[in-house]
Amino acid sequence: MRLSWIFGSSMEAHHLLAAYVAVWLIQGGYAGWIAWQWVRAGKELQADLSLNTGEDEEF
Amino acid sequence: MRRSRIYGTVGLVWLVLTLAAIAHGTRLALVVAPTEATMGNVQRIFYYHVPTSMLSLLFPYVNFIASVFYLGWRRRDPMRALTADAVAIAAAEVTVVFSSLSLLTGMLWGRAAWGIWWTWDARLTSMLLLWLLYVSYLMLRKLSATGQTQTLAAVLSVFAAIDVPIVFMSIRWWRTQHPAPVFFGGEDSGIDPSMMPAFGWNVLGWAMWGVFLLVFRYALERRRQEREQEAALKSIEGSLEMAQ
Repeated sequence: MRLSWIFGSSMEAHHLLAAYVAVWLIQGGYAGWIAWQWVRAGKELQADLSLNTGEDEEF
Repeated sequence: MRRSRIYGTVGLVWLVLTLAAIAHGTRLALVVAPTEATMGNVQRIFYYHVPTSMLSLLFPYVNFIASVFYLGWRRRDPMRALTADAVAIAAAEVTVVFSSLSLLTGMLWGRAAWGIWWTWDARLTSMLLLWLLYVSYLMLRKLSATGQTQTLAAVLSVFAAIDVPIVFMSIRWWRTQHPAPVFFGGEDSGIDPSMMPAFGWNVLGWAMWGVFLLVFRYALERRRQEREQEAALKSIEGSLEMAQ
Protein backbone atom coordinates (compact mmCIF):
# COMPACT_ATOMS: atom_id res chain seq x y z
CA MET A 1 0.00 0.00 0.00
CA ARG A 2 1.31 3.48 -0.88
CA LEU A 3 1.57 6.28 1.64
CA SER A 4 0.58 9.14 -0.68
CA TRP A 5 -3.04 9.14 0.55
CA ILE A 6 -1.91 10.46 3.94
CA PHE A 7 -1.05 13.80 2.30
CA GLY A 8 -4.48 14.02 0.63
CA SER A 9 -7.00 16.80 1.19
CA SER A 10 -9.67 14.75 3.01
CA MET A 11 -10.43 15.35 6.69
CA GLU A 12 -9.42 11.80 7.60
CA ALA A 13 -6.00 12.28 5.96
CA HIS A 14 -5.47 15.61 7.75
CA HIS A 15 -6.49 14.21 11.13
CA LEU A 16 -4.43 11.05 10.77
CA LEU A 17 -1.34 13.05 9.82
CA ALA A 18 -2.00 15.56 12.65
CA ALA A 19 -2.34 12.74 15.22
CA TYR A 20 0.95 11.06 14.25
CA VAL A 21 2.87 14.35 13.98
CA ALA A 22 1.45 15.60 17.32
CA VAL A 23 2.63 12.42 19.06
CA TRP A 24 6.16 12.74 17.64
CA LEU A 25 6.39 16.47 18.37
CA ILE A 26 5.12 16.29 21.95
CA GLN A 27 7.13 13.19 22.86
CA GLY A 28 10.24 14.53 21.13
CA GLY A 29 9.76 17.97 22.67
CA TYR A 30 9.49 16.52 26.17
CA ALA A 31 12.59 14.33 25.68
CA GLY A 32 14.45 17.37 24.32
CA TRP A 33 13.43 19.45 27.34
CA ILE A 34 14.73 16.73 29.73
CA ALA A 35 18.00 16.53 27.77
CA TRP A 36 18.43 20.33 27.91
CA GLN A 37 17.71 20.40 31.66
CA TRP A 38 20.08 17.47 32.17
CA VAL A 39 22.98 19.28 30.51
CA ARG A 40 22.20 22.52 32.39
CA ALA A 41 21.90 20.78 35.78
CA GLY A 42 25.17 18.91 35.09
CA LYS A 43 27.03 22.15 34.34
CA GLU A 44 25.64 23.84 37.46
CA LEU A 45 26.50 20.86 39.65
CA GLN A 46 30.01 20.78 38.23
CA ALA A 47 30.41 24.51 38.90
CA ASP A 48 29.21 24.05 42.50
CA LEU A 49 31.56 21.14 43.13
CA SER A 50 34.59 22.93 41.69
CA LEU A 51 33.73 26.00 43.78
CA ASN A 52 33.56 23.83 46.91
CA THR A 53 36.87 22.11 46.26
CA GLY A 54 38.49 25.37 45.20
CA GLU A 55 39.56 24.03 41.79
CA ASP A 56 38.83 27.28 40.00
CA GLU A 57 40.45 29.52 42.57
CA GLU A 58 43.66 31.20 41.48
CA PHE A 59 44.85 32.16 44.94
CA MET B 1 32.44 8.09 36.46
CA ARG B 2 32.75 4.54 35.12
CA ARG B 3 29.29 3.72 36.42
CA SER B 4 27.71 6.77 34.74
CA ARG B 5 29.37 5.78 31.45
CA ILE B 6 27.80 2.29 31.70
CA TYR B 7 24.39 3.86 32.40
CA GLY B 8 24.88 6.19 29.42
CA THR B 9 25.72 3.30 27.08
CA VAL B 10 22.75 1.22 28.28
CA GLY B 11 20.48 4.27 27.83
CA LEU B 12 21.76 4.87 24.30
CA VAL B 13 21.28 1.21 23.27
CA TRP B 14 17.77 1.28 24.80
CA LEU B 15 16.93 4.48 22.91
CA VAL B 16 18.12 3.04 19.58
CA LEU B 17 16.06 -0.15 20.08
CA THR B 18 13.05 1.96 21.13
CA LEU B 19 13.22 4.20 18.06
CA ALA B 20 13.61 1.13 15.84
CA ALA B 21 10.50 -0.47 17.42
CA ILE B 22 8.48 2.76 17.01
CA ALA B 23 9.62 3.19 13.38
CA HIS B 24 8.68 -0.41 12.60
CA GLY B 25 5.34 -0.05 14.37
CA THR B 26 4.57 3.18 12.51
CA ARG B 27 5.38 1.59 9.15
CA LEU B 28 3.12 -1.38 9.95
CA ALA B 29 0.33 0.98 11.09
CA LEU B 30 0.44 3.29 8.07
CA VAL B 31 1.52 0.99 5.26
CA VAL B 32 0.98 -2.68 6.08
CA ALA B 33 -2.17 -2.89 8.26
CA PRO B 34 -5.40 -3.26 6.25
CA THR B 35 -7.84 -0.35 5.93
CA GLU B 36 -10.73 -0.78 8.35
CA ALA B 37 -14.03 -1.48 6.55
CA THR B 38 -16.34 1.07 8.22
CA MET B 39 -14.04 3.89 9.40
CA GLY B 40 -11.47 3.84 6.63
CA ASN B 41 -7.94 5.19 7.07
CA VAL B 42 -8.76 7.37 10.08
CA GLN B 43 -8.94 4.15 12.13
CA ARG B 44 -5.12 4.07 11.87
CA ILE B 45 -5.06 6.67 14.68
CA PHE B 46 -6.01 3.68 16.87
CA TYR B 47 -2.42 2.32 16.58
CA TYR B 48 -1.08 5.37 18.44
CA HIS B 49 -4.16 6.26 20.48
CA VAL B 50 -4.59 2.92 22.28
CA PRO B 51 -0.92 2.42 23.32
CA THR B 52 -0.67 6.02 24.63
CA SER B 53 -3.97 5.57 26.50
CA MET B 54 -2.82 2.26 28.00
CA LEU B 55 0.43 3.84 29.18
CA SER B 56 -1.37 6.87 30.59
CA LEU B 57 -3.17 4.42 32.90
CA LEU B 58 0.02 2.58 33.84
CA PHE B 59 2.37 5.42 34.86
CA PRO B 60 -0.04 6.80 37.52
CA TYR B 61 0.53 3.54 39.40
CA VAL B 62 4.30 4.12 39.33
CA ASN B 63 3.59 7.58 40.76
CA PHE B 64 1.22 6.11 43.35
CA ILE B 65 3.63 3.38 44.54
CA ALA B 66 6.55 5.83 44.71
CA SER B 67 4.39 8.30 46.68
CA VAL B 68 3.36 5.61 49.18
CA PHE B 69 7.06 4.73 49.66
CA TYR B 70 7.86 8.44 50.06
CA LEU B 71 5.21 8.80 52.78
CA GLY B 72 6.54 5.70 54.54
CA TRP B 73 10.21 6.68 54.39
CA ARG B 74 10.11 10.47 54.80
CA ARG B 75 10.84 10.37 58.56
CA ARG B 76 12.62 7.03 58.94
CA ASP B 77 14.92 7.24 55.92
CA PRO B 78 14.94 10.69 54.25
CA MET B 79 17.57 9.73 51.63
CA ARG B 80 15.50 6.81 50.34
CA ALA B 81 12.42 9.02 50.50
CA LEU B 82 14.13 11.46 48.12
CA THR B 83 14.70 8.61 45.66
CA ALA B 84 11.00 7.67 45.84
CA ASP B 85 10.06 11.32 45.37
CA ALA B 86 12.21 11.54 42.22
CA VAL B 87 10.42 8.47 40.79
CA ALA B 88 7.04 10.02 41.70
CA ILE B 89 7.63 13.33 39.92
CA ALA B 90 9.09 11.57 36.86
CA ALA B 91 6.04 9.26 36.64
CA ALA B 92 3.61 12.20 37.06
CA GLU B 93 5.19 14.13 34.18
CA VAL B 94 5.22 11.08 31.91
CA THR B 95 1.54 10.51 32.83
CA VAL B 96 0.67 14.07 31.76
CA VAL B 97 2.51 13.63 28.44
CA PHE B 98 0.79 10.32 27.61
CA SER B 99 -2.68 11.38 28.81
CA SER B 100 -2.44 14.67 26.84
CA LEU B 101 -1.67 12.64 23.71
CA SER B 102 -4.45 10.18 24.47
CA LEU B 103 -6.95 13.07 24.67
CA LEU B 104 -5.53 14.81 21.60
CA THR B 105 -5.44 11.76 19.31
CA GLY B 106 -8.90 10.77 20.58
CA MET B 107 -10.29 14.19 19.68
CA LEU B 108 -8.73 14.06 16.21
CA TRP B 109 -10.28 10.64 15.67
CA GLY B 110 -13.65 11.74 17.15
CA ARG B 111 -13.96 14.75 14.85
CA ALA B 112 -13.42 12.56 11.77
CA ALA B 113 -15.48 9.55 12.96
CA TRP B 114 -18.31 11.16 15.01
CA GLY B 115 -18.26 14.67 13.56
CA ILE B 116 -17.54 16.24 16.99
CA TRP B 117 -14.34 17.12 18.81
CA TRP B 118 -15.64 16.39 22.29
CA THR B 119 -18.55 14.93 24.22
CA TRP B 120 -19.07 14.52 27.96
CA ASP B 121 -18.98 10.75 27.66
CA ALA B 122 -17.92 8.66 30.71
CA ARG B 123 -14.51 7.64 29.28
CA LEU B 124 -13.61 11.09 27.95
CA THR B 125 -14.70 12.86 31.13
CA SER B 126 -12.88 10.48 33.49
CA MET B 127 -9.74 10.73 31.29
CA LEU B 128 -9.92 14.53 31.37
CA LEU B 129 -10.25 14.33 35.15
CA LEU B 130 -7.14 12.12 35.29
CA TRP B 131 -5.22 14.66 33.19
CA LEU B 132 -6.40 17.53 35.44
CA LEU B 133 -5.38 15.63 38.58
CA TYR B 134 -1.81 15.08 37.35
CA VAL B 135 -1.52 18.64 36.03
CA SER B 136 -2.63 19.79 39.53
CA TYR B 137 0.02 17.51 41.04
CA LEU B 138 2.73 19.15 38.92
CA MET B 139 1.40 22.67 39.58
CA LEU B 140 1.39 21.96 43.32
CA ARG B 141 5.01 20.85 43.15
CA LYS B 142 6.00 23.87 41.10
CA LEU B 143 4.09 26.61 42.93
CA SER B 144 3.69 25.54 46.55
CA ALA B 145 5.94 27.51 48.89
CA THR B 146 5.40 25.42 52.03
CA GLY B 147 8.06 23.10 53.37
CA GLN B 148 5.61 20.22 52.99
CA THR B 149 5.26 20.29 49.19
CA GLN B 150 6.52 16.73 48.63
CA THR B 151 4.23 15.32 51.33
CA LEU B 152 1.18 17.20 50.01
CA ALA B 153 1.96 16.03 46.48
CA ALA B 154 2.33 12.42 47.66
CA VAL B 155 -1.09 12.58 49.37
CA LEU B 156 -2.66 14.08 46.23
CA SER B 157 -1.09 11.28 44.20
CA VAL B 158 -2.81 8.65 46.39
CA PHE B 159 -6.20 10.29 45.68
CA ALA B 160 -5.42 10.74 41.97
CA ALA B 161 -4.70 7.02 41.60
CA ILE B 162 -8.35 6.29 42.50
CA ASP B 163 -9.40 7.73 39.13
CA VAL B 164 -7.30 5.21 37.16
CA PRO B 165 -9.57 2.15 37.63
CA ILE B 166 -12.60 4.41 37.00
CA VAL B 167 -11.12 5.44 33.62
CA PHE B 168 -10.37 1.81 32.77
CA MET B 169 -13.82 0.52 33.78
CA SER B 170 -15.82 3.50 32.43
CA ILE B 171 -16.45 1.88 29.02
CA ARG B 172 -17.48 -1.34 30.74
CA TRP B 173 -19.76 0.22 33.38
CA TRP B 174 -21.44 2.83 31.15
CA ARG B 175 -22.17 2.34 27.45
CA THR B 176 -21.96 5.89 26.14
CA GLN B 177 -20.31 7.42 23.04
CA HIS B 178 -16.80 5.94 23.31
CA PRO B 179 -16.32 2.64 21.39
CA ALA B 180 -16.63 -0.57 23.43
CA PRO B 181 -13.39 -2.05 24.83
CA VAL B 182 -11.20 -3.60 22.15
CA PHE B 183 -9.42 -5.86 24.61
CA PHE B 184 -10.76 -7.64 27.72
CA GLY B 185 -14.25 -6.57 26.75
CA GLY B 186 -15.99 -9.92 26.39
CA GLU B 187 -16.73 -12.19 23.44
CA ASP B 188 -17.30 -9.45 20.85
CA SER B 189 -14.09 -7.58 21.61
CA GLY B 190 -10.75 -7.90 19.82
CA ILE B 191 -9.27 -6.85 16.48
CA ASP B 192 -8.63 -8.64 13.24
CA PRO B 193 -5.45 -10.78 13.47
CA SER B 194 -4.00 -8.89 10.47
CA MET B 195 -4.00 -5.70 12.59
CA MET B 196 -2.24 -7.28 15.58
CA PRO B 197 1.41 -6.81 14.45
CA ALA B 198 0.91 -3.04 13.96
CA PHE B 199 -0.81 -2.77 17.32
CA GLY B 200 1.69 -4.99 19.17
CA TRP B 201 4.78 -3.19 17.83
CA ASN B 202 3.33 0.20 18.74
CA VAL B 203 2.51 -0.96 22.28
CA LEU B 204 6.06 -2.31 22.63
CA GLY B 205 7.73 0.76 21.11
CA TRP B 206 5.78 3.34 23.10
CA ALA B 207 6.13 1.34 26.33
CA MET B 208 9.92 1.29 25.81
CA TRP B 209 9.82 5.03 25.09
CA GLY B 210 7.80 5.62 28.28
CA VAL B 211 10.35 3.69 30.34
CA PHE B 212 13.16 5.68 28.70
CA LEU B 213 11.47 8.99 29.58
CA LEU B 214 10.76 7.83 33.13
CA VAL B 215 14.36 6.80 33.81
CA PHE B 216 15.84 9.90 32.11
CA ARG B 217 13.52 12.24 34.04
CA TYR B 218 14.30 10.36 37.27
CA ALA B 219 18.04 10.81 36.66
CA LEU B 220 17.49 14.54 36.07
CA GLU B 221 15.57 14.87 39.34
CA ARG B 222 18.32 13.05 41.23
CA ARG B 223 20.87 15.43 39.73
CA ARG B 224 18.74 18.40 40.87
CA GLN B 225 18.40 16.92 44.37
CA GLU B 226 22.17 16.45 44.52
CA ARG B 227 22.63 20.11 43.58
CA GLU B 228 20.12 21.25 46.24
CA GLN B 229 21.99 19.19 48.84
CA GLU B 230 25.27 20.79 47.75
CA ALA B 231 23.70 24.27 48.06
CA ALA B 232 22.28 23.44 51.51
CA LEU B 233 25.67 22.13 52.65
CA LYS B 234 27.39 25.26 51.38
CA SER B 235 24.90 27.49 53.17
CA ILE B 236 25.45 25.62 56.48
CA GLU B 237 29.21 25.91 56.06
CA GLY B 238 28.81 29.64 55.35
CA SER B 239 26.70 30.13 58.48
CA LEU B 240 29.25 28.25 60.61
CA GLU B 241 32.10 30.36 59.27
CA MET B 242 30.19 33.54 60.03
CA ALA B 243 29.42 32.32 63.56
CA GLN B 244 33.14 31.72 64.18
